[in-house]
Amino acid sequence: MEKISRRQFLGMSTKAGAATLFTGIFAPTATSLFGLAGVAEAATKRVDPFTFAILTDAHLYDIKDHKFDDILRKGVADVNSMRPRPDFLLYAGDLGQSGKKAELLKGKKILDQLKMPYKIIPGEHDYYLDMGKAWRGLFGDEHWSFNHKGVHFIGMNSILVPDFWTLKGLTPRERMGMMEELECHQCGAWGVGEKQLEWLARDVKNVSPDTPVVIMTHSPLWDYYPRWNFQTYDAPQIRETLRKFDKVIAIHGHVHQVVYNEIGNIRSSGLLSTSWPWPYPPVKLDYPQIKQRRSDPGDFEDGLGAADLALNSDFDAIIHWREFSDLLPANIKNGLKI
Amino acid sequence: MNNTHMKRICICSGLSLVGALFALGIAQAKPPRSEAQAAQERAALFTAVAKGDALWHSPKLGTNGLACANCHPDGSATNVHTWPKFQTNLGKVGTLREMINWCIAVPMQGKVLEYDSNEMVAMEAYATYAHRGIAIDLGKDEQHGGVPVKSGPGYPRF
Ligand SMILES: [Fe+2]
Ligand SMILES: [Fe+2]
Repeated sequence: MEKISRRQFLGMSTKAGAATLFTGIFAPTATSLFGLAGVAEAATKRVDPFTFAILTDAHLYDIKDHKFDDILRKGVADVNSMRPRPDFLLYAGDLGQSGKKAELLKGKKILDQLKMPYKIIPGEHDYYLDMGKAWRGLFGDEHWSFNHKGVHFIGMNSILVPDFWTLKGLTPRERMGMMEELECHQCGAWGVGEKQLEWLARDVKNVSPDTPVVIMTHSPLWDYYPRWNFQTYDAPQIRETLRKFDKVIAIHGHVHQVVYNEIGNIRSSGLLSTSWPWPYPPVKLDYPQIKQRRSDPGDFEDGLGAADLALNSDFDAIIHWREFSDLLPANIKNGLKI
Repeated sequence: MNNTHMKRICICSGLSLVGALFALGIAQAKPPRSEAQAAQERAALFTAVAKGDALWHSPKLGTNGLACANCHPDGSATNVHTWPKFQTNLGKVGTLREMINWCIAVPMQGKVLEYDSNEMVAMEAYATYAHRGIAIDLGKDEQHGGVPVKSGPGYPRF
């Protein structure tokens, strides 16, 4: 049953024109198989309604039976229990904590329990021990795009910082240790970098402006709280490249919280983690009413959860934050129309 | 002349007497704190804050890899201005230090600190400095992100 649904999914994607390679099916993937012509073919204003699920920020440790293992398992079980079943899952980074292959491998094993394919991007915690080598070995490309039922999906690596380690003579472990601190004040601001900006421009060049677009990055595509890298320094260029589209839905991990913003044609939603919730930083929220309540430190599942996004034929979307504990205020309890 | 007026006169003359003695430099049991001494005390405080910062970010206080900073970057959400207060997981009115020890013992699965140890004082100093200037409001139900940090560690270094 499971295999059939995966094949069906792959079949549909291929028909839509993109060589969609999911880590649930093939790994590693190859960007070279994405043809521009294929991308253009998929352009259509109508969406064949569907739902996809999202998980992020498991922060798995290389420690046996760590409590975060179970929370990720709970997230996977939650996604598997969704009805109708999501067509696929997107994973928004920070699967591991310290970039160790053992962490990522443990995470992959748990994610492979998903009853649907998934696509994944790296977070800073996955990356800075070996500059993404182990991650790429397990999951393939750090940026990708595919088309699904009329929607153009994009994933990018937004956690690239200029080299701060060589001059300081840091070991890989020291470099990773610094990046593990959210408030690392010597690591610099993240972005996707020139190469990915060029790739993005090429990727969407032949995609018609009325195509619904969903973009996933680890960090937000606006300046939320740069101190904690709740930002992507070249987000203005990304937004410029995506400006031609009628509507873009952006989702991001890293903030471990419910947060929402709109800039121009882009509607951004932050996601709950499956490790720990982060407090709201000391800045004014653009949409203060879209906020989770503070969590109870005595309840290890409080403020954590999964998410799903339901798209209708007009690319109206509803995001549901699926908190494991009951901490969503009434206005977003049943989802938010974005 | 009523009583209040009388008192005022007394207080005023008392104050001017102190002022006069102060000006002559003879009223003080010991000389005022020198600038050098004040600087030394400030350096001692921020050395403690820096030590607290290091502990805050160290997984060594726990056994499962977690550090305080996992959930409380820049000392945020410690809400130091709201303690002491009733805290559900403590089951009583407790202090910030008790909460720090609870976090070490439960989510971090570590060994608690002595309440008056240098380590505990340093951690308290770090978290409290991150909330400087925020009005004390005992028991207030809020999660505070602390004082915004523009750059550096968030406190002066010596
Ligand atoms: Fe994270
Ligand atoms: Fe992150």
